Amino acid sequence: MALAPKKNKLSLWQRIRQNSLAYKFIAPTFVAMLVVHLIPIVQGLYLSLLDVRLTTLTLYLKAPFVGLKYYIEVFNAIFGIGEDGTSSRVTGLINAASNTLVYTIWTNIGTLGLGLILAMLLNRNFRWRGIARTLVLLPWVVPTFVTGTIFNFIWLEQGGLANRILLGLNIIDMPITWLIGPNSLYALVIATVWRGLPFTTIMFLAAIQVIPTDLYEAASLDGANGWQRFRHITLPLIKPIAGTQVLFGLINGFYGGYNIAVQMFGGGTGFAGEYADLLVPAITRQTWERHLYGFGSAASVILMGMLLIFVGIWYRAFRDSLRAE
Amino acid sequence: MGVSLSKKAESARSARATINYKAWLLDRGGDILLLVIIALMLLPIIFLIVGSFKSREEFAVGSNFFPSDWRFENYSEMWTRVKFGTYFSNSLIICGITTLVVTILASMSGYALARFRFPGAGGLSMAILGTQLVPGTLFLIPLYMTFLWMKNNLGIPLIGTNFGAIVLYVGFFLPISLWIQRSFFATIPIDLEEQAMVDGATRFQAFVYIVMPLAGPGVISTAIFVFLTAWDELLFAWVLNVQTIPVGIRQFTGVAGSQNRYELLSAASVVIILPVAAMFFLLQKRFIAGLTAGAVK
Repeated sequence: MALAPKKNKLSLWQRIRQNSLAYKFIAPTFVAMLVVHLIPIVQGLYLSLLDVRLTTLTLYLKAPFVGLKYYIEVFNAIFGIGEDGTSSRVTGLINAASNTLVYTIWTNIGTLGLGLILAMLLNRNFRWRGIARTLVLLPWVVPTFVTGTIFNFIWLEQGGLANRILLGLNIIDMPITWLIGPNSLYALVIATVWRGLPFTTIMFLAAIQVIPTDLYEAASLDGANGWQRFRHITLPLIKPIAGTQVLFGLINGFYGGYNIAVQMFGGGTGFAGEYADLLVPAITRQTWERHLYGFGSAASVILMGMLLIFVGIWYRAFRDSLRAE
Repeated sequence: MGVSLSKKAESARSARATINYKAWLLDRGGDILLLVIIALMLLPIIFLIVGSFKSREEFAVGSNFFPSDWRFENYSEMWTRVKFGTYFSNSLIICGITTLVVTILASMSGYALARFRFPGAGGLSMAILGTQLVPGTLFLIPLYMTFLWMKNNLGIPLIGTNFGAIVLYVGFFLPISLWIQRSFFATIPIDLEEQAMVDGATRFQAFVYIVMPLAGPGVISTAIFVFLTAWDELLFAWVLNVQTIPVGIRQFTGVAGSQNRYELLSAASVVIILPVAAMFFLLQKRFIAGLTAGAVK
């Protein structure tokens, strides 16, 4: 674009011809996106209005039209209207939605908080800095389904690593049940934070490293203490990176967790139980094991709506740092 | 002005002596905290590795951290017990080809988005980012139906084949990859291309011979990112019935009806981590440089 002579009065056709190479470069990508993303997304939205189940699957887009039936079912259940008609698939979904919210909030707090602390610690001068920076990357190379496997073993009630360490240090005197019941969601959160920590740490470290050191020196001369320097120099300057990390965290929180959960719970059957069932595993079960394809689509749209609400809040919070870029 | 500055420096200097030991203490506290966090991050991986050498009984009891008898034969048993070789080569083929195709296409389209302000660029950017906000469960059903239809009506074997997985993953990982590439191209100065074009190169030649060599770290970041993510993909592979590692590894646990063989599952997990770890640490410096360049600038 910098090469093009700056004439403002070009017709659309001229501008298209001028950028013909760009279109050639984009064309294969556009076709791939159209086939794998855009067309299926539109079809998926439409599917959520159809009664597609095992018996009507072959009809596909010609399956009986039920309109907003599934959405109304879910909203009725949320607001307690028509309780008799509430089916297990809807209560399961609402339960999974609330778990997903808690999971997303805690994984974000854990990854961002620990990631920032770790980045600050790694940014100091010390002898083994190079090795330390490499070691913290290790969880990143562990695929998430393997992460689920590892933590399945770690959380085992009898003989699991976590209980043995906690018993050995006399922190607890009875083994904790990690994989069933109320603890299971936090067992999932910890596994997710462990896997996500390296990426966030590296991003924060990169952001902290480019902050000019004279800013800190000047602040010290003016008598600012460590906390004040952190609060008024470090935090504002890493806000753009933090913004991207929060967005990734929201997407991963709402849409992720499937691989870890599937491998961690139920000895491979993958059902986490009511305390730790997230939306994506729940929707997957409804869709592919109970063959409720239309309902699964509607549930996916509701999941997307949940994410978009949070992305909206995110956008308001980080709008300024986005504009600065 | 100058007086007040030197006064401030003076008071800071005298304060420094008292602060010094406090800072030293804080620093040592930081060391200990760092040590604890790193230990906690490494422990699960070490646990997995030592567990893969235990006998089945020892793993189940879990009384020792280290195996009393290191059973290297777990690895050969794991390999023969399920079709691990098939899963492994399927995953390598699918992830390798996907990475290659995605990296080439993402370089081209990322370059186009970074350098040209063409009609439709804004809409395309929105569409690219938008795809990241849609849950996979929403477009998985239509994709499955489309692939099924293509198989039945056009005879294209897209279900249960490596080819189908590659088609799927290329489309799946392209948007995010091209976004990483785009932000990397944006950091490369445009002067070099302009110079090359003044010297008579076409824009395409400038891209291939001038820009791409400079984009090394960005290309490597994208490639590793795609490979890592594809290596890790379970849901779509499972639905499309592709025999990749994440799908196949579940045979070691209750799913396939066999008894749980956790020590074999551990051995398989170690083997699964190896190629990714090797690639990652060989290219670590450039990978991180590429990932952070676009984000920090």
